[in-house]
Amino acid sequence: MFDKRSYTLYKFHKQLNQSFQNKRELLECALQALRDLFRLDRVYFFDWQQERAILSLKMMCKKEYCMDMQEDISVANEPVFLRQLLQKGVAETTDLSYPALYVLIRWQRPSVELKSGEVRSITREKVGVLRLERFRKRRVFTPGEIDLIQDLGREISHNLYNTEVDQAKNQRLNMSTALNDLSTIFASSLRLNDGLELILKGVQRYFHFDRVHLYLTNSEGTRIKSVLGVDISGTVTHESGASLRDEEKQILKEVFDSSATYRAIRSVIYLPLKLQRTKVGFLTFDNILSRRKIGYLDFISLQQFASQMALTIDNARLFERVQELSNYDELTKLPVRRYFNEKFAEELYRAKRFGLSLSLVIMDIDFFKQINDKHGHQIGDWALKAVSKIIRSSLRQTDVPCRFGGDEMIIMLPRTNAEEAKVIARRLQERIHDITLPDRASVEPEHLSISQGVSTYPADGATADELLEKADQALYVVKQNGRGSFAVYREVADQVPQEVKKSKTVAAAEKPAATQSAHPAELSPESSDKPVSLP
Amino acid sequence: MILWAMPDSGARTMEDYAALVALFRKENPSIDLSVRVLTRNVLWRRIFTLKDPFHEEMPDLIQIPHYWTALIVKAGIAENLSQLDPGLTLTDSLPQLKENCYQPGTKDIYSYPWWFDLSALHYRVDHLKMVSSSPDEELKTWSGLLSVCAKLREKFKNVPGYYPMQNSDWRGSLSMRSALPCMWSRELNFFTEDRAATLVGSKEFKEALHDYITLALKEYMPILRERGSLGTIVSGKASMMLARKQGISTFSAHRGMRVRTVPVPMAGDKPAAYLSGMNLFINTFSQHKKDALQFIKFCARKDIQMRYATMIEAFPAFEYAFEPFLAQSPRLQTYKHILPSAQILPNMVIMGTVMEILKRVLAMCAAQIVEHRFTQALLDKELDMTAKEIEFLLSIYKG
Repeated sequence: MFDKRSYTLYKFHKQLNQSFQNKRELLECALQALRDLFRLDRVYFFDWQQERAILSLKMMCKKEYCMDMQEDISVANEPVFLRQLLQKGVAETTDLSYPALYVLIRWQRPSVELKSGEVRSITREKVGVLRLERFRKRRVFTPGEIDLIQDLGREISHNLYNTEVDQAKNQRLNMSTALNDLSTIFASSLRLNDGLELILKGVQRYFHFDRVHLYLTNSEGTRIKSVLGVDISGTVTHESGASLRDEEKQILKEVFDSSATYRAIRSVIYLPLKLQRTKVGFLTFDNILSRRKIGYLDFISLQQFASQMALTIDNARLFERVQELSNYDELTKLPVRRYFNEKFAEELYRAKRFGLSLSLVIMDIDFFKQINDKHGHQIGDWALKAVSKIIRSSLRQTDVPCRFGGDEMIIMLPRTNAEEAKVIARRLQERIHDITLPDRASVEPEHLSISQGVSTYPADGATADELLEKADQALYVVKQNGRGSFAVYREVADQVPQEVKKSKTVAAAEKPAATQSAHPAELSPESSDKPVSLP
Repeated sequence: MILWAMPDSGARTMEDYAALVALFRKENPSIDLSVRVLTRNVLWRRIFTLKDPFHEEMPDLIQIPHYWTALIVKAGIAENLSQLDPGLTLTDSLPQLKENCYQPGTKDIYSYPWWFDLSALHYRVDHLKMVSSSPDEELKTWSGLLSVCAKLREKFKNVPGYYPMQNSDWRGSLSMRSALPCMWSRELNFFTEDRAATLVGSKEFKEALHDYITLALKEYMPILRERGSLGTIVSGKASMMLARKQGISTFSAHRGMRVRTVPVPMAGDKPAAYLSGMNLFINTFSQHKKDALQFIKFCARKDIQMRYATMIEAFPAFEYAFEPFLAQSPRLQTYKHILPSAQILPNMVIMGTVMEILKRVLAMCAAQIVEHRFTQALLDKELDMTAKEIEFLLSIYKG
């Protein structure tokens, strides 16, 4: 025998038995089906907001369509109606002049409650309420209809649960994929800053944060500074690097000392970046402008990601440190010759390409051998350090100094003509002359002095070895004339003895492959680091 | 092309949009336009995720409240309309609406006016006659309004489910939009003149909010009730309503029932009303920017402005349509007097957030009132915290 009730349930089940992208899609389908089955004028779905004791309207469906709507009903205002709804799962409102039925939608599910960072499993039952209205013909709901509607309500509840689980899974999968992609990009990025930019932009975009900020500790882990941020438009801001304010230091302490940093009500989270006991820095994510709560699942994903990020940052820093050690002379902290050669080739290429000038200064400390012999190598090293400190502090960001070997140093001055180079040489000469050797036995203070030779592109040469050679010859003239001064090749060219001009200087003879060509593409990685002996 | 719009006409929203789309399609048969209706809450959330690579649907055009323009510019989701069409101007727009179309500090148009509405007080003449010899005079001030409410409550005490005021808020809760005139009437604003600090924590602001909340506290206006179960002006179970123009056409549909519209009663010394403008902007990620611009221009046309404003019971946003629109009915003349005192919310990045925060405060008050645990001290404390939150926002976003 044909059972109409079972058939209706089966049909309804078939209608809802599909994969819905989200709750809205499912409700649209379910409410329309209910409307047609029971010839309703309107059907509504309310969310049950247990914490606020409010039924919050989400969607209304009428004859032709469904749409999102807003309306809040406090359950405190309707105690009788509510009691009936809770006890029987169904209630007919008595205040209306037409038939209207409320049906409770509930499910059993494990859930989480997030208070003070604690996660507790609880069971949340009530999820929503259906309101069905017949105001045109005012046909009352029969007991059979009410029974059937309750059964269909259970079907909706079952599908709502599945959809929510599917949606959460999809969301998690999307996030994991995004984080994986970002980690891969980050891990393969050679330059730390580029990698960090990519990662912050990606996290902000995928997780929909208003802002993301990164703070990093210094290499000793004693101070922390803001380094990078991404704002709501996705623009990366390179922070000033200012240290944290006092009140922020308190937050920092909390971030590192507390294992639970998630607060459900907050739209800001702080994530420490740490490796065992090493503090690498921390990340802040906020939704202060949009006021969207940051979900617990997002927090967990980011927390796992933060550990990976801390490790990668630490590795990248180590890599940078190794690079720094190989590029810089340990005693003077000046770049070594290999590094200088690369930069020199690049700058010379640029000067040729854009018609710019470039100057080169070769210098050495006067009577350095005697200083070593008289005061010992310790004082000799001290003098080298003092001179290089002056050099580092007296130059522009774009200038590249280098310890060429022994007490000889070279400075490349991009976009600098001979006159401008003379200003710099004079400045160095004066400042270095202010250095006195720390020898208490001497009655008279013993001042340091340097001799410098300058050559300029394009006037004195077109290649790196020509420029080195000319600067070297100018230095020779200065030494011949009593040291403690500087000379530009063009101005002293006639004083350079013919035999010096003819014979290739050791510097030129031993010139590294890199300096033979001005084009960076022709650089040889096997350039010599052997110090140059000037005549 | 997809338009994200808000439910402007209540229950008739979809019908009205269908009619507008039909008009547009008639003139532009090659442009396919679909409308998705999102509530303001949903829209607020969605505009922050527009750049999401997993976004299910990419809208081309989006309707927003006037005070969100600075935000959408800051978020980088709005197309610069001045660049898209250098000929586009706001010359004919109502003067009050212009400032909220630009990127703050520039004359670059990022959102274009569509329509606007004005708040006013509507009352049933027959009901008010029973309790007042000169209702217009008495309803000039907020204290007069409360006194009329008290008299009406007494007069209709035997009518079950009667409230002197009908709640015009869509959610049936307390609404910041209705509270705004109480603030402005005291010559108070959300921010100091230089917009460097907020006045939300000030004594005057607290008093202004209290004026409005009193309507619910004294049960002159229902809150958080099942909408269908409540009385309305038309059913005789309410006598007054503080509302925008929208929804009042039902009065005209009932013969013999006279409803008068007067300015919002003054809570302070100055008349004030809320001018709520609706704008359209083009999503910067849209693939149909030219079509979207075509729709914006279509909506700004005089005949469409008049027709759509009539359809959704609002006002045209352009002067060339506004004057002829008012001339249609003597009832609308009242709004001519209300307009000069009407104010808009400032075009600031954080304004939308401030309104969201205050909505939360009022929702909390509403829940406390129905559970009989509201105290002014609780509200004051909440507003002090809100003020700190706003100051923090100001420090980050500089307005």
